[in-house]
Amino acid sequence: MRFIDEFRDPALARRLLGEIEAMTADWPAERPITLMEFCGGHTHAIMQHGIRQLLPPTVRLLSGPGCPVCVTSQADIDRAIALVHVPKAILTTFGDMVRVPGTTHSLQEAAAEGLDVRIVYSPLDAVQLAAEQPEREVVFLGVGFETTAPGIAASIQAAMARGLRNYSVFSMHKYTPPAMRAILDAGEVRLDGIIGPGHVTAIIGYEAWSFLPKEYGVPVVVAGFEPLDILLTIHHLVAQVVKGEARVENTYRRAVSAEGNRAALAVMDAVFEVADADWRGLGILPRSGMAIRADYADYDAARRFRIPDVPSREPPGCRCGDVLRGVIEPPQCPLFARVCTPDHPRGPCMVSDEGACSAYYLYGGFAA
Amino acid sequence: MCLAVPAKVLAISEDGLSAEVEFGTVRRTISLQLLPDVTLGDYVLVHTGFAIATVDPEEARLTLELLAQMGDLDPIPEEELQRPLRPQQEKGGAG
Ligand code: SF4
Repeated sequence: MRFIDEFRDPALARRLLGEIEAMTADWPAERPITLMEFCGGHTHAIMQHGIRQLLPPTVRLLSGPGCPVCVTSQADIDRAIALVHVPKAILTTFGDMVRVPGTTHSLQEAAAEGLDVRIVYSPLDAVQLAAEQPEREVVFLGVGFETTAPGIAASIQAAMARGLRNYSVFSMHKYTPPAMRAILDAGEVRLDGIIGPGHVTAIIGYEAWSFLPKEYGVPVVVAGFEPLDILLTIHHLVAQVVKGEARVENTYRRAVSAEGNRAALAVMDAVFEVADADWRGLGILPRSGMAIRADYADYDAARRFRIPDVPSREPPGCRCGDVLRGVIEPPQCPLFARVCTPDHPRGPCMVSDEGACSAYYLYGGFAA
Repeated sequence: MCLAVPAKVLAISEDGLSAEVEFGTVRRTISLQLLPDVTLGDYVLVHTGFAIATVDPEEARLTLELLAQMGDLDPIPEEELQRPLRPQQEKGGAG
């Protein structure tokens, strides 16, 4: 496919790997250059193409917190699942969310008991469902970063424009820069550079990352999702690190600009306001969440419905939070591949298409 | 969840709010609300039913050109270059 196949050329990839190796020839292997890929989509692409194993021992990659379902706190997961009991509810969401284990059960299990849970491709499909079934309450579980939030905001505006009174969103959306800041502030992992999330940055623009070199002295290179995009990004990061430089660069120029997508940002800001948010693994981060503005209160499931307070507990033994902070790699979790597998996930990092545990399992030689 | 796939714009609705796009062989109607300035034949990144960015073919060409100039100083044997990217994986060995 156009813009995909060209960025998978193995010959060019080998050349890039050769250059990365040459640049780090004098670098001490016992203190490898450590780069964090923020985005779970990158983790999957890196594992799928075996990029970790191809890199020289002087360069090490760590997964970050860029998996929206994974960073959703257990309390939010439980509240979201509880919404299935709203009278006449149809709970709609993206596929990942349905299999995430709540404290007592998952949405998939609720559906098996006859409750109405539906996976949609787009939040606009949920709006359409609300139009077709005016006697039902269509609730959309909104999970995602800046890539996803504008579309969900647009769905609320679409429902309003159509005069629908039976569509609402439970917003668990989050901003990505505060998470990156929290990881650097915690100082648990020493990072030499960051692979910037390509599709988040298509919306927010790469200027949004300039605080990382400025305040933390850490270089950021925004990357696309094909193997050559990722290798070129690692190449640019390593080039900065070996020269002791730190700035924002962008190797995903075909889709990402300095200022981002203004129209999408405007829709997102019209519907959502900045709020504190609770992140699995990172705790409550100030000004990192998106709450629905009072103007759209009728479309806010958190305001419309009384959600019972369920005592929440993270899955016993699950180290998803440590994985999200880059403190451990998935195989270091004692449950990984033994008890916890994509068929029987213990935690969200094994469920989501962007979860690091699922990426390691699927492409690390563990899957049958 | 941040997955976004390039698709070609085949048709734009009269009100300019939606488009018919093609991913490889699959066709779908998507919303242009988040990306109003699209023209026929453009490639756009599609995420959860919305176009979120235009893919710029000139920038793509420049990136590929840059890539092609990499590693010229240190020629790598042809058979090495053609080897598939993904290395052999060992099975098992959990934990
Ligand atoms: S392997 Fe399973 S139990 Fe362990 S951290 Fe990952 S999701 Fe949690």
